[in-house]
Amino acid sequence: MSSNNMADPKRQNKILRYKPPSTESNPTLEDPTPDYMNLLGMIFSMCGLMLKLKWCAWIAVYCSFISFANSRSSEDTKQMMSSFMLSISAVVMSYLQNPQPMSPPW
Amino acid sequence: MCCEPLRALHFFSPVQVSIMQRPRLLLIPILLLLLAFPGSKGRYNDDFDDGEDLAEFDDNDFAEFEDMNEDLTAEKESAPPPRVSSAQPEEDEDEDEATVELEDGQDGFEDSDTQVPAHLQNSWESYYMEILMVTGLLAYIMNYIIGKNKNSRLAQAWFNSHKELLESNFALVGDDGTSKEAVSTGKLNQENEHIYNLWCSGRVCCEGMLIQLKFLKRQDLLNVLARMMRPACDQVQVKVTLNDEDMDTFVFAVGTKKAMARMQKEMQDLSEFCGDKPKSGAKYGLPDSLAILSEMGEVTDGVMDNKMVHYITTQAEKIESIHFSDQFSGPKVMQEEGQPLKLPETKKTLLFTFNVPGMGNTSPKDMDSLLPLMNMVIYSIDKVKKLRLNREGKQKADRNRARVEENFLKQTHAQRQEAAQTRREEKKRAEKERIMNEEDPERQRRLEEAAQRREQKKMEKKQMKMKQIKVKAM
Repeated sequence: MSSNNMADPKRQNKILRYKPPSTESNPTLEDPTPDYMNLLGMIFSMCGLMLKLKWCAWIAVYCSFISFANSRSSEDTKQMMSSFMLSISAVVMSYLQNPQPMSPPW
Repeated sequence: MCCEPLRALHFFSPVQVSIMQRPRLLLIPILLLLLAFPGSKGRYNDDFDDGEDLAEFDDNDFAEFEDMNEDLTAEKESAPPPRVSSAQPEEDEDEDEATVELEDGQDGFEDSDTQVPAHLQNSWESYYMEILMVTGLLAYIMNYIIGKNKNSRLAQAWFNSHKELLESNFALVGDDGTSKEAVSTGKLNQENEHIYNLWCSGRVCCEGMLIQLKFLKRQDLLNVLARMMRPACDQVQVKVTLNDEDMDTFVFAVGTKKAMARMQKEMQDLSEFCGDKPKSGAKYGLPDSLAILSEMGEVTDGVMDNKMVHYITTQAEKIESIHFSDQFSGPKVMQEEGQPLKLPETKKTLLFTFNVPGMGNTSPKDMDSLLPLMNMVIYSIDKVKKLRLNREGKQKADRNRARVEENFLKQTHAQRQEAAQTRREEKKRAEKERIMNEEDPERQRRLEEAAQRREQKKMEKKQMKMKQIKVKAM
């Protein structure tokens, strides 16, 4: 509450525009999770495609979901979509080549 | 009778015989072969007399065969009995495999070792891992939507309760920096699913205020599960940037003991100016959970007036840290090797970090309880403008700043020297290259002479300096 005995504190002439803080000066403040998850997702989906491992492909799908959930709004949606598509294609290709169900590791 | 001539032929060599009667003789070996065959088979059957005429064989060539085949199959049947018994289940299995697609499970089998592969079963139960995975994904998506909505509602509730206060204090409430004119957007800027910004500007005593609502990552299921192990709470961070005339030169911080210890290590200005360990605020009536970091006692006395103490004691559980500094440059930055160090840019700043009550289980109603904290922020802005150190304090502060700068220059002296050296070497090399590249030999000679003269002058200057130092020392 601005004190009633003081004049109005607002000053139209002192307005300063918002400048988004540059992340280059503070790389530690940035959350690295979406970038790591994106990279992991790509690695797992490549493994799943090349080595025909179903569980790799499923983990890749999870990684791309996690990366999407943690992403910043300024990030490119194309990157997100491409990692999604890659992981889903890894799952589909694994099942097309080998329709057997996945065996649990235990 | 007719075999006699044939028998007689045996005594002749095949060559002699062929010369004598070729066409007819070709048939003879063939016939011999045909007859020899039943002859050899005849040995199996003891029932036949050795003396029996071949004519009987001729009449019924294949009678032998038929008898023989029957005998052979009889023998074969007696010899390997298990093979026959296995042939039957094989046939049964073939039949069963043909029907297994219609049957469920493996009921028709006596042998437990042979199991039908899973993909032939064609039942959804065998795909239970996949169903688990898809269920997990669906759970993640559900959590994402629920978490996103909760964060959004919390942010909106905060803004609704603080809107009036902010609009009465700032000319510009809400700006994303993109619009051409400085018009209040009147709403929060969503940076993330869990971070919301609000920029306020246009007030006496400050340049502007950036409020960041840093909520927990409710939209990420992994984070939700991690928080079950390690509870955390939503935070509201307020950063007020001031003009040079709005604040005197001092560094001060108050907050929870843990936060103070951490900030003293991490923050550039606190580590340089507030060397002592965090002190207890009991002297001023603060609760024991809070500690104070200050450049000098006078600053603490100046900041901790009655109203401030009242604010802090009533809201102690919500205060994480309060940091006033004229030398604020953020956390310590790790400098890379070889980079010429420059003093980090400083800005007069007031930083507030508040914890939202509820420890993660916040409801929109809790946002109203943060309103007194915003009042404290506004009060602090006005107070800092009025707070001025006395002469002694000012001198002490100036000395501190000079000391810090000197230390910095000393540390970087070696590096700056190196940088200067490399620059000089670069220049020399560039000049030499230029001389080498000159095609005209005359100009080359002249440039070389010019370079030599410059070198000589430098040497003379250095010698003069040394002489002067010696004279002064004397």
